[in-house]
Amino acid sequence: MAKGRELKGRIKSTENTKKITRTLEMVATSKMKRAQDRVAAARPYARALAEVMANLHAPELAEQFPLLRQPATVRSAAVILLTANRGLCGAFNSNLIREGRQLLQRLESGGAQVELHAVGRKGIGYFRYLGRPMAVQRADLTDKPSAADAASLIDDVMARFGSGALDAVYIVYSRFNSVMSTPPTSERVLPVAVPARTGAARDFILSPGAEQILTELLPLAVRNAMYRALIETAAGFQSAQRTAMKNATDNANEMLTTLRRTYNRGRQAQITQEIAEIVGGAAALSG
Amino acid sequence: MLTVAVISPERVLFEGQAPSVVAPAHDGEVGILPQHAPMMALLGTGELRLGSGERFRVRGGFLQVADDQVRVVTEWSEPA
Repeated sequence: MAKGRELKGRIKSTENTKKITRTLEMVATSKMKRAQDRVAAARPYARALAEVMANLHAPELAEQFPLLRQPATVRSAAVILLTANRGLCGAFNSNLIREGRQLLQRLESGGAQVELHAVGRKGIGYFRYLGRPMAVQRADLTDKPSAADAASLIDDVMARFGSGALDAVYIVYSRFNSVMSTPPTSERVLPVAVPARTGAARDFILSPGAEQILTELLPLAVRNAMYRALIETAAGFQSAQRTAMKNATDNANEMLTTLRRTYNRGRQAQITQEIAEIVGGAAALSG
Repeated sequence: MLTVAVISPERVLFEGQAPSVVAPAHDGEVGILPQHAPMMALLGTGELRLGSGERFRVRGGFLQVADDQVRVVTEWSEPA
């Protein structure tokens, strides 16, 4: 019954793998829930900022604000590529990396010098393997990125855009539409695109003036775009991991069914054969 | 009564009614009572006090008043 022992070993190891994937699935599910809550909790701030900027913004002001400067040609750009620190999440990281590479190619074929800021161990590993130099490598962000993390990533880039050293800044991240839909997305965060005003303008008392308020608020909007990208990517990662682990658990279950069936069939065949041998032997003796 | 919302990038810290609001604007404290004219002001660093007793430490951001709705949108804040 050598075949049977071998099957038993495979059943055992599949069971063990299933235990791991099931646990990871449950961990990812609860983390995803919290990450989703963070995405939802960040919306009121983004909405309030967008509304106020739309109210204050006037096209003729654009010239005065370094962060609104629209360069005619993009000579130098920065791409901030967000990936996860860990794998076991299906094609999540490779989708982000592919989106990032396409963006890099598009910008470079337009004649721009592009510097790459890689966030997350998976993206860093990939571009290190390709041998592409990275301006910034960050693998220290956790599952719960904070607004301070976002500021530490974008503030330096924002200052360089303001001084004219960069002409465009993009973030590649995973947009969190829902648990099932987290498409990789490229978003241009600088120059800032001020949302269009909805409804009539109201007469606000402004303290100080519109210009000073906008000067203060534009950096907040850029930081917020970065923060949103971080938390949406974190939520997307958890949901991708949950899906991947759920599929793995389902596959393990299916495999176990087949293995157990094969094992039992073999065991029964062996018993039948043994009985036949005993009966045959007894008949030969008595005969 | 005023309807007040205190919002930080990470979450909404407070949402509810208050009889008055005292906020640290960029150039000194501003007090807001019901029927205030529409206003937008930059915030400095300091303590935000609601008439209902809540207190928050805030830094940066802005304050918007319109139709007895007060929105305090801060770059950083925490309950004090």
